[in-house]
Amino acid sequence: MSKENKDVLYGLYDDEEVLLKAVDQANAGHLEIMDVFSPFPVHGLDPKLGLSESRLHIAGFVFGAIGTLTAFLFMTWVFTRDWPIIFGGKPYWSVPAFIPITFELTVLFASIGMVVTFYTICGMAPGIWNPILDDRITDDKFCIAFDVTGSEEAEKEKLKSFFTASGASEVNTKTI
Amino acid sequence: MNQFSFDSRLKNILIGFMVLGLVCLGITFFVDDELHTRFWTNYLHNSVFFTGIALMSLFIMAAFTTAWSGWHTLVKRIWEAYSLFLIPGLILMLVVIIGIWGHFHHLYHWADAEAVAADPILQGKSSFLNPGWYTFGTLIIVGLWILFAVRIRQLSVDEDANGTTDYDHHRKIRIWSAAFLPLAGFSSAAVIWQWIMSIDAHWYSTLYAWYTGASWFVAAMALTILTIIYLKSRGYLEKVNIEHLHDLGKYMFAFSIFWTYLWFSQYMLIWYANVGEETVYFLERRENYPVLFYGNLILNFVAPFFILMRNDTKRKYGTLVFTSIVVFFGHWWDFFQMIKPGARTTAMEALAHHAGEHGHEMIAHGEMGAHELPFALGYTIPGFLELGTMLGFLALFLFVAFDRLSKASLVPKNDPYLAESLQHHVEIHGEEGAH
Repeated sequence: MSKENKDVLYGLYDDEEVLLKAVDQANAGHLEIMDVFSPFPVHGLDPKLGLSESRLHIAGFVFGAIGTLTAFLFMTWVFTRDWPIIFGGKPYWSVPAFIPITFELTVLFASIGMVVTFYTICGMAPGIWNPILDDRITDDKFCIAFDVTGSEEAEKEKLKSFFTASGASEVNTKTI
Repeated sequence: MNQFSFDSRLKNILIGFMVLGLVCLGITFFVDDELHTRFWTNYLHNSVFFTGIALMSLFIMAAFTTAWSGWHTLVKRIWEAYSLFLIPGLILMLVVIIGIWGHFHHLYHWADAEAVAADPILQGKSSFLNPGWYTFGTLIIVGLWILFAVRIRQLSVDEDANGTTDYDHHRKIRIWSAAFLPLAGFSSAAVIWQWIMSIDAHWYSTLYAWYTGASWFVAAMALTILTIIYLKSRGYLEKVNIEHLHDLGKYMFAFSIFWTYLWFSQYMLIWYANVGEETVYFLERRENYPVLFYGNLILNFVAPFFILMRNDTKRKYGTLVFTSIVVFFGHWWDFFQMIKPGARTTAMEALAHHAGEHGHEMIAHGEMGAHELPFALGYTIPGFLELGTMLGFLALFLFVAFDRLSKASLVPKNDPYLAESLQHHVEIHGEEGAH
């Protein structure tokens, strides 16, 4: 991530259908979109932006499998080697009794592992400030943003006319 | 094509399989012991299994309608058609009832007056487990289900002809659906206790009805997926796309896990508490039917869990068809596992009782002596006759379903949710379908 400030030109849209058409237009005009912000996941947007499928779930599976093995092998070690105790006349290695705990640890490892992975991928940590372009993109506005750091005035005008043509309700510039 | 035509080629194939089923049942009857345990357990097994699939189809449809679901509208005609199998299902169960009154079979320990007289546990349960209640319960409860199935079907077909796409007409279906849910929830448990759980008459489990219901549910989903893919291969249901199948696949995945959760909850509590009158059920199955017992978990949990866990396996015909077949067979296997061991114990006790009176030659007769073998076809695992019988019943089920399906349009054109179903889109990374 670059430490330098970016000049961002962004347009706000009122509706996700308009946004999807605008993204199509931008792609057709070979405009390089920096990012798109929306208050909720918009179906069909990711392929248009050329984003590949998230691999977070693979991390989830790996963390879950680590949790399964940790719980199961630890209990096996404790109850057969380290401190064998007879509970209710059951054998030391009582697989059915281990399963609920194994399940819980699978879920715990998978969820915590995925949260940590997700925060790491997104560069988020306590104390990090993430600039937001407009408060309403978390509420009811859909936003297309272009990086215009060091761009020519003509370039910016071209982007502004794109916003007007594609039905943006508001066009702003912000340095983040 | 919106109108399914049940052509004679398909009819002949299904009739062929029905004949195969009948032949298998006939052979079973003649190679059996003198109580015809194998014949009657196979008959009960398949009747209960397919009647339950019909019930669950109605339940799924009622639950979706009540929950304002829209995506399922394009496939709901299939569930309507399935649910009408309740009528032949009741006829199939009537044969079992006649068998109880006529003492043609020894499926149920509690139906044997002599055994009840000598057994305080059975006497304690006799106010519920008796031929009268079995008959009354089956007739009234399945009768009520049929009433709802027929009514919901009528309203749905009537919507095509006389309804409009507004909610006025649809509201009636919603009322009938909402009324059906609590009714099905409670009454299915009573029927499951009588039809299946009472085979092990001394034993009971409060989770049993849920567990059995989940088994039916997954089997119904699997059969739905297979039917949709078959109909699509014939050029029907062209508006049903991978998005709908993805959702059905999710249901199959989720309810396979739900089934496992119930299975395990039932098993673990009984195993942990270790009370003799409860453990007898699982001890018998684990020690004498290990292939059935562990195979059940592999087919119904391990296979669907690992195959359907990924996103893309629910979006490909190959993996969906494969898993649906495994899971459908697996839940049929599960019912085999519920019914056979208990019915066999009852039959062996009855045979030993006869032998005590008439000499020892009878107990050695037939396959009843093969208790120790881990593989005894037809008893400890399903044999070829069982498979043939299942195919026969499946063909009967599909014959009824396809016949009903051909009587109405495949697309409920006046359903207010049709537009939502047509635009259904669940996968952010999928092909662009809706926009």
